[in-house]
Amino acid sequence: MSFVRDSLRRYGSLSLKNKIFGSILAVVLLISVAIAFVARYILVSSLTAELEMRGSAIAHSIAERGGTFMLDKDYPQLLSLIFDEARLHERKHLISYIFITDQGGEVLAHTMTRPFPSELRLANQVPQDKGRSLRLVTVEQESIHDIAVPIKEGLYRIGTVHVGLSKSHIDSLISKLRLTFLGFISAIICIIFFLSNRITQYITRPISKLTRISDELSRGNFDITLDFQEEDLNWKPSECPAYVNTEMPCWHFDQSARLAATHRTCKSCVFYRKRQGDEVVQLGDSFRNMVWSIKLYRRRLRESEEKYRSLFDSGPDPVFVVDCENFHIADANPRAQELYGYEKEELLGMSYLALGPENRSDCLITYEGKGGGTGCLYHPKVLHYKKGNKPFYVNVHACPISYKGRHAIIIAVTDITEMIEKDAQVIQAGKMKSLGEMSAGIAHELNQPLNAIKMGSEFLALMEEQGRTASPEQFHQVVVEISAQVDRAAEIINTLRAFGRKAEMLKERIDVNKPIGSVLTIVRRQFELDNIRFNLDLGEGLPPVLAQDNRLQQVFFNLLTNARDAINEASLPSEMDARRSIGIRTGAEGGGVTVDISDTGVGIPDEVRDKIFEPFFTTKETGQGMGLGLAITYGIVRDYGGQVRIDSEPGQGTTLHLFFPQAL
Amino acid sequence: MANVFRGKRFSSACGAPAVLLLVLALLLPILTALGGCDSQGEKAAPERGTPGVTDQAISLGSSLALSGHASYLGTQTLRGALSYLKHINDQGGVWGRRIELTAYDDSYDPPRCLANTQKLIVEDRVFALFCYVGTPTTVKILPLVEDARIPLLGMFTGANALRAPFNRYVINIRASYYQETAAAVRHLVKDLGLTRIAVFYQYDAYGFDGLTGTELALKEFGLEPVARGFYVRGTMDVEDGLSKIQKSGAEAVVMIGTYDPCARFIQLAAERRFQPIFHTVSFVGAEELARRLGDSSGQVVVMSQVVPPFEGPDARQLLGSAEEYVHLLAKYFPDDKPNSVGLEGYINARILVEGLKLAGRNLTREGFISAIESIRDYTLGPGANVSFGPDNHQGMERVYFTRLVDGRFVLVSNWQEVLGALDEVRAKTQAGTQAGTQVGTQEGRARP
Repeated sequence: MSFVRDSLRRYGSLSLKNKIFGSILAVVLLISVAIAFVARYILVSSLTAELEMRGSAIAHSIAERGGTFMLDKDYPQLLSLIFDEARLHERKHLISYIFITDQGGEVLAHTMTRPFPSELRLANQVPQDKGRSLRLVTVEQESIHDIAVPIKEGLYRIGTVHVGLSKSHIDSLISKLRLTFLGFISAIICIIFFLSNRITQYITRPISKLTRISDELSRGNFDITLDFQEEDLNWKPSECPAYVNTEMPCWHFDQSARLAATHRTCKSCVFYRKRQGDEVVQLGDSFRNMVWSIKLYRRRLRESEEKYRSLFDSGPDPVFVVDCENFHIADANPRAQELYGYEKEELLGMSYLALGPENRSDCLITYEGKGGGTGCLYHPKVLHYKKGNKPFYVNVHACPISYKGRHAIIIAVTDITEMIEKDAQVIQAGKMKSLGEMSAGIAHELNQPLNAIKMGSEFLALMEEQGRTASPEQFHQVVVEISAQVDRAAEIINTLRAFGRKAEMLKERIDVNKPIGSVLTIVRRQFELDNIRFNLDLGEGLPPVLAQDNRLQQVFFNLLTNARDAINEASLPSEMDARRSIGIRTGAEGGGVTVDISDTGVGIPDEVRDKIFEPFFTTKETGQGMGLGLAITYGIVRDYGGQVRIDSEPGQGTTLHLFFPQAL
Repeated sequence: MANVFRGKRFSSACGAPAVLLLVLALLLPILTALGGCDSQGEKAAPERGTPGVTDQAISLGSSLALSGHASYLGTQTLRGALSYLKHINDQGGVWGRRIELTAYDDSYDPPRCLANTQKLIVEDRVFALFCYVGTPTTVKILPLVEDARIPLLGMFTGANALRAPFNRYVINIRASYYQETAAAVRHLVKDLGLTRIAVFYQYDAYGFDGLTGTELALKEFGLEPVARGFYVRGTMDVEDGLSKIQKSGAEAVVMIGTYDPCARFIQLAAERRFQPIFHTVSFVGAEELARRLGDSSGQVVVMSQVVPPFEGPDARQLLGSAEEYVHLLAKYFPDDKPNSVGLEGYINARILVEGLKLAGRNLTREGFISAIESIRDYTLGPGANVSFGPDNHQGMERVYFTRLVDGRFVLVSNWQEVLGALDEVRAKTQAGTQAGTQVGTQEGRARP
């Protein structure tokens, strides 16, 4: 069994040429051998039958003619007769011997030139009732067909004729046949050898060529020429409109097969050249078409890839591809490298969280579909870190993608540092303006402590002039008071300074009461001089919010300023019984801190309510305000994740509700 | 077989194994063929010792006409040979071996000859066959000779069948009938200027042979026999043949028969006044014919001989070793008169012994034949040389002519004599006719 399997396996690994040659040869040899045997069998049997027939004829003829001689006992004549029969021309080759016996079995005459072999005498005896007997006898290592025919005189048998037929000429015929067959087989082997070589060459050469070409193709070498047919040498790829311009469709593979057949443009195209031929030719044609198709497709693909690669590489904004499993940066475009200050090699594989720690949960969110309408997340004003841990602000867009089969997000980052700076500048401008407005008030505020200080120092000077010394209690009181007033002036100045300072970048945990207090320090006196009362309801133990103190001051200042303006529109400061008050209430509610600033001003009509937060929207006359205050306020509150809500009743007043989420 | 099929190719891309494969594929049939060849054809002759040769004796066999109508031929041939063989035996034989000749009588009957020869070969196991007489008899035993591969030497017949097809075992010494008749016709046509030539022949193989020879010879001159007459072997029924030939007006009759019928033919022709020139071949038997014809026929009878004739003024010069024959015959068979038939037998024996001598002590049949074939220009007498060769088993080629003169056949020295004799005979006949006692026969005289 294993031998069979082994041979089958060996057979399978032969080259096609040898397979075909071997198979055909085996079959032909088998058939030839079978034919040879069949032919030999047929030949031998029919020749032997022929031989026996002739021998019988001879024997009968001798029996007829020899009878008289036997009766006359004319043995020389008998001998002459059988010799004539035996040796006449061609009979020499056929007849080995003839001998005649009498009824007693004694040999009367024979044609041998050697002593008669005694065993031959009785070797083949004709039974009484038969007319003939045929037997194969062996005479001196030779096989002879002995045909015995009785010699009759009437019914009485007087003797027997034995004709011995040599098989030699049958054997020589068989040898000749064998030789012919073998020569024939040799010729067949030769012919088959060359024929099968030819045929398999015809098959294997193109196939080998195709194999070579496809090996080249698989290595990506598409430049090899598909030149197995002569006609193709004249056709260049640049003749194909779809190749040159990848936007153009190729009629062959962009259309469905049915249409392509009916709309045959590009008549010279290789695709349509189908030659009449056998399977090998058609394989060649199809292969060529396939290769051309691949070339075309690759070209398209390459162009597309280049297009998108250039988009990625030369995009104006940094783009990162971050693997969701390990938060490593899978890819970054050159702009990212520029912006963040890292080289590409440093970026790849680096953890994205080193650049943007707040985006940790982005992967999860996007993949749970909790992103915006496009499945993407948008983070405005996030703090990212350049190389050297330098922070800067960016807007981040994160979208889920599948990158190399894994979950990933593609993060587009917009550097808003400039914008923030502009913002800051605007705010600063606003602040400066506010400060300008406040200058009168500030001057007033400062005057008081200065006056107080002056009074005190004048008192002391007066004392000095009068040569009196103040009593220690008076002296102490005056000095303390001067010190306190200096503190107060300093505090005002500090507050101012703090206010004027550019805001810090970093958010801190702030108790909202503090900036409120700071702002009140600045503006309270002034407002009170304007006959505006403050109703304060500041909560105790408020949870901190993540914000910047300076900015919050800005917010509160704006709101208070707006409240005063609103009140002044409603009534004049001189009106003693007008309701002129601002209420500030802070409290901890809903997971955060609420700040309500209400005024008894003119109120905000409905149609305006939505617009007031728009930048450059103002109800004041031109030159009075830029309309940025509330916009900035809104921006700052939103920055901190907070909300602004307006309650307003025209003629009654307005309340602005601010909510800041609690710092975690 | 699978191992053989390791692919490679014959040309360009491949190498040895395909060539190997091809060579093997071609060798296979050839080898088988060679192996198969043995079963073809030839039966290898079984190796036996040479029969008929012992340390002391070589035995030979012969079957010839010792009785019957050709008994003279047989007897004289035998005695001629025996006289020499006895002589040799008396001198110690050949290589210390005596030569023993067993002779059976077949009365010129082919079946009997066949039976005798088979007996000689199978039972008597003779070394060679020797001194056969007669065409039908000798031709009949040719198959036996072939089969047994036994040499047959010295036959008293010029039959063509013994010469063609060439048979390695048959060695002819005397010239053939074709040669005899060719020479005769040549003389008849050229020397005597005769063109009307008839043939009278024995109706058997011998007669046919002579007829064919004559016809072939005549064809050379663009002639044909004007008549053909025959008689049946063993009978004397020559009348029908004679009438036919006489009616044709032949000027010469070539006769291929035996002495009795030929003698009768000539005598009857004389009676019927038919006087062509009669030419007989040597087989007819010169002495017996002469004895029967005597002097009374008055016909011109010429006989061709294949051995030098005894009689005639110039004959003596040609005799050469025939003298020894005469001497030995007188010694061993004193009652017999030397004759050309016996001389042939003697010559046969001479050649036989020469062959045995040349074959050496280590005597085999093949060796004997090779020895004969090596004989070149063995001289029996002036102008009588015997030569053989591997392709030439015809020893003597010379034909002599004799004429019946005074009851004896004498050598013809020149043919003018013969012409003269013919004229004489015709003149005599005319005289006889003028005497008016005979019925005229056609005078078919054709003077040259």
